[in-house]
Amino acid sequence: MAGTAGSINAAVAASAGQPLLVAGFAEWREAARELLAFDIAPHAVKWIGQRDEADLFAGAPADPHEAAHAIDLRQARPVMHLPRKLMDMLQSAACCRVPDRWAFLYRVVWRWQHGDQVVLSPADEDGARLHAMVKAVHREEHDMHAYIRFRERPEAAGAPRFVAWFEPAHDVLPQVAQHFVSRMGRISWMIATPDASVLWDGETLHNTGPLVSSAADLDDAGEALWLTYYRSIFNPARLNAGLMRSHIPSRFWKHLPEGSVVPQMVSQAAAGARRTGQAEAVGQRRGTTIPIAADKAQPQRQAPSTLDECRRCELWQHATQAVGGAGPAHARIMLVGEQPGDQEDLAGEPFVGPAGQLLDQVLRDAGLDRRTIYLTNAVKHFKWEPRGKRRLHKTPAQREIEACSYWLDQELAQVKPDVIVALGSTALKSVLGTGNVTLKDTIGKPIRHDGRWVITVYHPSFVLRVPDEASKQQAMAVMVDGLRQAQQLLQMKSEN
Amino acid sequence: MDLTDKLEILADAAKYDASCASSGAPKRSSEGKDGIGATSGMGICHSYTPDGRCVSLLKILLTNFCIYDCQYCVNRRTSNVPRARFSVDEVVKLTVDFYLRNYIDGLFLSSGIIRSADYTMEQLVHIARQLREVHNFRGYIHLKTIPDADPALIAAAGKYADRLSVNIELPTQASVEKLAPEKSVHTIKLAMGSIRRRLDEKAEEPRSPKFAPAGQSTQMIVGADASDDQTILSTAETLYTSYKLKRVYYSAFSPIPQSPGSVPLAPPPMLREHRLYQADFLLRSYGFVASELLPASGGNLALDIDPKLAWALANREHFPLDLNLADASMIARVPGIGLRNAKRIVELRRLRRIRYADLVRLRCSMKKIAPFIVTADYSPVRGAASSEVLRRSLAEAPQQMNLWPELRAA
Ligand code: SF4
Repeated sequence: MAGTAGSINAAVAASAGQPLLVAGFAEWREAARELLAFDIAPHAVKWIGQRDEADLFAGAPADPHEAAHAIDLRQARPVMHLPRKLMDMLQSAACCRVPDRWAFLYRVVWRWQHGDQVVLSPADEDGARLHAMVKAVHREEHDMHAYIRFRERPEAAGAPRFVAWFEPAHDVLPQVAQHFVSRMGRISWMIATPDASVLWDGETLHNTGPLVSSAADLDDAGEALWLTYYRSIFNPARLNAGLMRSHIPSRFWKHLPEGSVVPQMVSQAAAGARRTGQAEAVGQRRGTTIPIAADKAQPQRQAPSTLDECRRCELWQHATQAVGGAGPAHARIMLVGEQPGDQEDLAGEPFVGPAGQLLDQVLRDAGLDRRTIYLTNAVKHFKWEPRGKRRLHKTPAQREIEACSYWLDQELAQVKPDVIVALGSTALKSVLGTGNVTLKDTIGKPIRHDGRWVITVYHPSFVLRVPDEASKQQAMAVMVDGLRQAQQLLQMKSEN
Repeated sequence: MDLTDKLEILADAAKYDASCASSGAPKRSSEGKDGIGATSGMGICHSYTPDGRCVSLLKILLTNFCIYDCQYCVNRRTSNVPRARFSVDEVVKLTVDFYLRNYIDGLFLSSGIIRSADYTMEQLVHIARQLREVHNFRGYIHLKTIPDADPALIAAAGKYADRLSVNIELPTQASVEKLAPEKSVHTIKLAMGSIRRRLDEKAEEPRSPKFAPAGQSTQMIVGADASDDQTILSTAETLYTSYKLKRVYYSAFSPIPQSPGSVPLAPPPMLREHRLYQADFLLRSYGFVASELLPASGGNLALDIDPKLAWALANREHFPLDLNLADASMIARVPGIGLRNAKRIVELRRLRRIRYADLVRLRCSMKKIAPFIVTADYSPVRGAASSEVLRRSLAEAPQQMNLWPELRAA
């Protein structure tokens, strides 16, 4: 007789030369654990997976007492803890219908137990087979999730409301049933397969035993609508039947309702319907144009500002929108930054991102009210380059600064500030209209330019990038000083 | 008009949109609950049509009445097509019925512009709300956003939909102005930007109300205008990084009935669309930037070889690459080694040195990778083959070139 994991000590049985009968993964795992504990090599174990196979071994020598002498039951060794990944793979592979699955899985864990971790790599021979088995099982689960077709039974027939027939190539029904439990809520259904069936009554899953096949015989009016959809969503101009067939293995087609209409669709498309994407049936119907005048069809949009339509340089192309200045029309202090950043580009307002928050802090420290100041940038479109999944700010080139000074000049002419605070060198270059200035020479030294004061401080983004806290505080102090100076210069002006 | 007729017309009208995936939604289950529907995060293709495209969603238009006149679109107001309109209940019922029979994973709903952008968007949101709130539908919902619609409506759409999309359709402003006079790239970008801001807000404040958990996507039509692949890819790159899109879909232009003179009579080769998808995948997952694949001066992707191979042939100085020493990201750049195998190679490397036979067992295409790699027991003969020669030996047999012989002859 064959040994059964759980009923007889597997190690004892194996060492007596008895085959081990396992019906499922849990049993196999128990048996494998014991065998590993007694260090019984894979070649010394005969595994069988089905009762009828077991019958072949009926009458094989079996004497558990004798076997017990062969191994010393006190000599059990600790079994290594299997990593989760390996456990998951074993469990999946165990669903793969190959005759030697239990023996193979035991060889894998045996190798692992003996420190041979390469067994997990698909570049290893056993590893490759293990991966292939797992893949075959996952594939079958996926296909069953995808290609099961439920048919609806008449109300009067009672539960289950939906039934499906499927012929899975591997033992995946339990996990697939779970998938449909989560999909169908409290609605009852049944999936029948050649060797097992499950029924969901809305609350519990039941194994209803083998050979229930009724789904195939059901008529379902819903199927006609599905076929209409299937035919209509196909674009005959893209006919590629080979690709379609490579996606769905042929054994599934015969159970899919759409399988029956495919040949006709293919031949119609091949016969000329593919000149246009439109389905022939639709093309034959009477059509209508929509009688509405072009100007009436135009959506109500705010007319784009001239700034938004600016094409003076290329920067507009990769930006969302131009970001103009914001603040009182006749503010006495104007802050000029470099260019909008990622957040400003999306929001359409200057200084709303992290740099804007730092600027708010600096303004508070300097005792200035943001609402009294006009805030703008030297360049109005965000210049950036991709870095990973982010937009990395890129310093505008001199020609872009020059191109965009057109807009800054307009703002200056309108607002007529007494003091300009240039944040960083791009702003400074733009305000002074020259590329030949450096931050170093001008920081902290007010300049008279075009009848107003220009004060230069760091750009808040620069301060954000300063690595250590002490230098950061220092840089912020420079900004605060500059803004205080701006106020003093204003006062001097009004006292004059 | 009965439901079948409407379905026939409104699915036909929706098939030009390439978006199809149902992935990226958070896990949901209806086990033990009223209502139906689940999402696994992965998305399932429930069927394939003879064009080789998958069916994972019920993809329909609410209506194909449209007051716009986009030249590439079969539903444009001047087009003489049969028109139809679903009622809200019809869309809801179709979705639920198809879902129960396991035909689909959810709904992808789009619409022609009727009356106004706001009115149209309201209808779309109404259907999604009905599905979620009245029917407790937990399957996937993707709503096409009407860019001109009130941002409050877009916010509402994000509350019910897993994914939102705003189609850019054409890669340049000039093409949009010419072929879609009622649309505006500016408005489209603003809509994408507003969706991204809400997604960012949600990410920063996890307890804030739900918003489009599967993110946003867009579609670009290839071959309706004269834009080259460089323009298309750099526009895609801009959109990916600016608006954190999950996907850009490329849809080879299909000729439409009574085509206006402003668009081509023939489609571009399908292989072009395929190459764009391959290049797009390199942008999204391999860390390539568009300028590595095509020079800023313009051009198209090669049709005879895939974009990764083209890049490797143009950058021979990086190869042959020693698989026992190189960075994972560089290994993934070897033609014929995908992300998964790159990861496996690095894992195996921790245990022992990589040998040629390992790659065979990993099912790498040896012909393709051999000239580009060094292993413990193999290195290619230096200077054995010029890039020209390699290219010729590795070029794929021309596929699908004769897909439309009758049109090409015309
Ligand atoms: S950056 Fe300035 S000059 Fe260049 S396009 Fe934008 S607004 Fe015009």
